[in-house]
Amino acid sequence: MTALRVGIILLVAAVLAALPMFGSDVLIQFGINTLLLAVLAQSWNIIGGYTGYASFGNSVFYGLGSYGVAIAMVQWNLPFAVGMIFGAVLAIAFAFLLGIPVLRLKGHYFAIATLALAQVMSAIVSNISLAGQNIGLVLPPLNNDPLFYELSLGLLVIATLTVFWLTRSRFGFGLIAIRENEEGAAVMGVNTTLYKVLAFALSGLFAALAGGIHAYWITFLDPESAFDISLNVKMIIMAVFGGPGTVFGPVLGAFVLSAVSEVLSSEVTNVAGLFFGVVVVAAVVLMPRGVADVMRHFRKSGWRYFIENLRTHRI
Amino acid sequence: MDLLAQVLINGTLLGGLYAVMALGLALVWGVLNIVNLAHGAFIMLGAYLAWYLYTYLGIDPFLGLPLTAVVMFCLGYAMQRGVLNLVVRAPMFNTLLITFGLEVVLTYLAQLAFSADFRTINPPYAGSSIALGPLVVPLARLMAFGVAVMLTVGMWLFLLHTRLGRAIRATAQNLVAARLYGVAPQHLYAVTFGIGIGLAGAAGGLYGTVSQINPYIGATLTAKCFAISIIGGLDNPLGVLVGGLVLGIIESLTVLYIGATFGDVASFGVLVLVLILRPSGLLGKTA
Repeated sequence: MTALRVGIILLVAAVLAALPMFGSDVLIQFGINTLLLAVLAQSWNIIGGYTGYASFGNSVFYGLGSYGVAIAMVQWNLPFAVGMIFGAVLAIAFAFLLGIPVLRLKGHYFAIATLALAQVMSAIVSNISLAGQNIGLVLPPLNNDPLFYELSLGLLVIATLTVFWLTRSRFGFGLIAIRENEEGAAVMGVNTTLYKVLAFALSGLFAALAGGIHAYWITFLDPESAFDISLNVKMIIMAVFGGPGTVFGPVLGAFVLSAVSEVLSSEVTNVAGLFFGVVVVAAVVLMPRGVADVMRHFRKSGWRYFIENLRTHRI
Repeated sequence: MDLLAQVLINGTLLGGLYAVMALGLALVWGVLNIVNLAHGAFIMLGAYLAWYLYTYLGIDPFLGLPLTAVVMFCLGYAMQRGVLNLVVRAPMFNTLLITFGLEVVLTYLAQLAFSADFRTINPPYAGSSIALGPLVVPLARLMAFGVAVMLTVGMWLFLLHTRLGRAIRATAQNLVAARLYGVAPQHLYAVTFGIGIGLAGAAGGLYGTVSQINPYIGATLTAKCFAISIIGGLDNPLGVLVGGLVLGIIESLTVLYIGATFGDVASFGVLVLVLILRPSGLLGKTA
């Protein structure tokens, strides 16, 4: 990584951090949403992008984090920070308990098992009275959007640094080895079960923290929205759009797609979703390895890059 | 005891319909290795097609099924040739995402074209039922069940005994070897996808006669189809029938004995258990 690149990244981070000082309220709220989505995309990147397991269960971690904060603050009158820790503990416990059986599955089977877990969790939580059943919980309001903004940005920075650490640590190389060839990794002495469960827990930790911040910011949550599968699909789309298995791809994907869907929903209100679907289809066809890969190769091969992609993946 | 028998009847009838819904998904998944997240949206389109045929042309939903299936087959063939063919060899995430994108597009188009109102196909016999002693068998559901079983068994015979069916199975097993034996994969993939979507369309027509339709039913139906395909396994349409029946009965029993909110917990719980204990499905071959 060159000094120039580090400089650009620091500059972008500084501008983002200073945004609440000059941005409007609407911009700050859009920023919080985008940053939290970026954290989620980055958390999915750990298990999906680096380890190669298409998790549809990250919305479970998000929901557990939300409920951790909500239960701690509403039912037990504990401070927000304790709630965040409680949510994180819940998520990590879940990752260890269910990760061990579920991570034995591969490919589509893993994807669907995690999808089913999300459905089951939503139904279970809506029957627990401590979690407010299907009515949900209302948290004490805190009208301090700049604080939530900075918290989200801080979390995104930590998540991105963690992913950066993956690209140059023994643990990260182990995960990449599992993604490329799991039997091969096991033969080379990688404890695949342990590594996969740790990656699942790490991924879940960030998703839970994002969920906790979101719950306190929105001040309301119910099982439907906390364990929403479409949120999980969103994080996958953002990560894959930006470039799965890269450090900045998911962040870029989250920023670009959030901006696109925000512009669409204000300009062409009733067909925004339609455009979003078309963008997803076109992106998958033309740049299957994400924006990060386009940026790497576009200068050399130009428009032929897209045609090459078409040619390799069709039949 | 009567209540239990009645619930078992309802569950079985529901399960037959589930099976025919999942049949297309399992076929496409097994042959093209694409999990079609837009499958439920195609079921929804089929239901609307049957609704329009019945409401404006007066064609009975059961008689209109072949027409619905043929129209949906053409749509599926074109969709595979034009769009999905471009990513057939791409990694799994990409095929999942592209079908998700299609689902979003289809749902929005349906919402624009049909509005978000609930609709039902209401043929004159919709309310009638057959009494078996103390038990009641709703006629429309029974007919839907009969058609579903016929389609499933027909699909099984088709895959086993026709030239095209053999080509489809051969491609599912080994694409390279099938090509060497003269299978043209572009055409075969498109035909398979077309059959899958045609079945989805027929399932939609049946669904419209027993339940309400709106543009948003697709996503939940896709999830159910997943569960059924996994429980039954992908190798064999009869497995899908078993999967559908198992799911239909479990759901009905759970709703009766544990509570309505637990219906989905039970079906997805069974799904997770099957995945962990028998990943190739109840009737699947063990590795």
